[in-house]
Amino acid sequence: MLYNVDDLPQALLQNPGTRIDFTKHIGIPFFSQIHLFAGSTGVNAYDIFSDENPKVNQRVQSVMDRITSGDYFSVNEQLEILSFGWKIGERGYISAGVYQELDVFAYFPKDPALLAFEGNAEYIGKDFKFSDANFSGEVLTTYHVGFNYKLDAKLSVGGRFKLYSGIFNTESTENDGVFRTLETPGGPNFYRHELDGLDVVVNTSGYASLKEREGMTVDQAVAELLSRSFFGQNVGVGVDIGFNYRVTEQFAVNASIQDLGLMFHQKDVENYRYFGSYETNGLEPLFPELNNNQATIPYWEVFEEQLDANLKEETTYEEYNTWRPLKFNASFEFGTGKSILPCDYLISKKPRFMNLFGMLVSGVNRSKGPTYGVTAYWDRKVTDNLRFRLAYGIDDYSLTKLGLMVSSRFNNFNIYLAANDIIGYTNLAKANSASLQFGMQFIFKDL
Amino acid sequence: MFPLKSRLISFIAIGLSLIMTSCFKDVDFEQAQDIKLAPDLEVDLLFYELNENDFLDSETNAYTQVIRDTVRLEFLDDEYIQDGLMYAEFRFRHENSFPNDIKSKIRFLDKGGREQFNVNYDIPAGSIDSPSVIDTIHVMEGSDISRVRRSIQMVLELEMLGDGKNIKGGLDFSSKGLFRFEF
Repeated sequence: MLYNVDDLPQALLQNPGTRIDFTKHIGIPFFSQIHLFAGSTGVNAYDIFSDENPKVNQRVQSVMDRITSGDYFSVNEQLEILSFGWKIGERGYISAGVYQELDVFAYFPKDPALLAFEGNAEYIGKDFKFSDANFSGEVLTTYHVGFNYKLDAKLSVGGRFKLYSGIFNTESTENDGVFRTLETPGGPNFYRHELDGLDVVVNTSGYASLKEREGMTVDQAVAELLSRSFFGQNVGVGVDIGFNYRVTEQFAVNASIQDLGLMFHQKDVENYRYFGSYETNGLEPLFPELNNNQATIPYWEVFEEQLDANLKEETTYEEYNTWRPLKFNASFEFGTGKSILPCDYLISKKPRFMNLFGMLVSGVNRSKGPTYGVTAYWDRKVTDNLRFRLAYGIDDYSLTKLGLMVSSRFNNFNIYLAANDIIGYTNLAKANSASLQFGMQFIFKDL
Repeated sequence: MFPLKSRLISFIAIGLSLIMTSCFKDVDFEQAQDIKLAPDLEVDLLFYELNENDFLDSETNAYTQVIRDTVRLEFLDDEYIQDGLMYAEFRFRHENSFPNDIKSKIRFLDKGGREQFNVNYDIPAGSIDSPSVIDTIHVMEGSDISRVRRSIQMVLELEMLGDGKNIKGGLDFSSKGLFRFEF
């Protein structure tokens, strides 16, 4: 909702090359941006917990039938701790800050869930794929500094360098293997159960030390997490780049990528791996000739030994790297209704448009491929100090995503509020996603 | 400062109204307690393929009319069986090409060796060209399910009827269980 909002510094976080309309900004610490988002593509609370009738298990079954391994759940939170920037020369603007982010993304583990909910009896011959278990989660602090530069009247470009300080990370995105039960007519038993090419890996950093200290008090845990925020643990680097090109006075195109970066997990790493293959038709008693005192063959123990020999688990402490979820945005914008500027020959500002109509394509790269959304918006500057944006978007979550953003300035104090999927807010139970952005800061303009 | 205040108030009002109106309607989260995991699992149990040598003493070659073996099924003692097993359907299939009738006794014992339930039947004589087939389904449900929960050993006993002369042939056994759970 804040993309292309040229009088909010947060637009620089989404496109460091965007056009901006201010000369200095400083955020209220911890309050310049609070962003919350949660979404689920395949199911909402109403689908399961509808109070129309008590057949909750029937509804769970219906969701299980409908939902796919491509559906996903996502939670994202950003809290801007520090934010400031100022104009350098006639064309440059430097901006910097610190924000904390939580990002959780999990695909629906369809096959493992199907096996747990329904079992294998109705699915003889089916491959239950472990690759359906695919998730990542991270908490980190980002330190960033960016530079925005107007090359000429038409083109502005920008880049942002980021240092990430990892607090916690887990990922399990490269899982493999299947479980299947096959009918074996003519075979030794009714079925053959196969675990074929199992390879499930869960990497973690920042987890082992917390796990080991069970008696940790809240104060100690907060101190520990805060210390990690200041490069106490794992680090990463990344960049944002973007541009804005004014094709004509009224028409502009722009694009950006955010978080082209890597996290290097080197400390407090603990990884879990489960791997191997095994198949069985059941146990085969051999009817040994035994004396009265002799125990029979320990078939079950032999079976377990075979399992242990073929299906292994190990905990490793190898460093690993993760890509940050790359975000991309591209939009065009058309302006109408020129603003009236004060008659002052000292001011070289170009007139702005009171109405802006735009279309934005955005997405995030995830482990199974990018997620997309398309948003059309009408951006209205009521006065130089009051602006709102009305947006309609479609994405994987919803086909009826109405958004509203309001930004207001009094002297140099700015406050803004943006909410997406407003229809969903009327009843969150039926919403597949909801997001809210809120912030306040000081923004200084020439005018 | 009034305009700033009023704007702050209006923003807070918008934010609060979003939060106040954003509630969960038409849902009853209490139903979460009623959600059941109800997997039905098909599991192979035991199998064997016997021939005449299994009924002969390996040292003296004397005819052994009764042979038996015991297999511990440790999974029956697992927590998920103890907590969630609601229905068990056992299927036992014998294919006999021996020219003798065979009595099959399948017994399930608890940890102390006490019998919890059994499935006994006679397998008619067959021939190599035309083996006899006995396919038996045994259902345990309701109050009987606790007998399955208590079981941990499966004892197989075969008694070949007749004098043991010319017992060329074989006896194939396959077995499986359909276990229905509710968690």
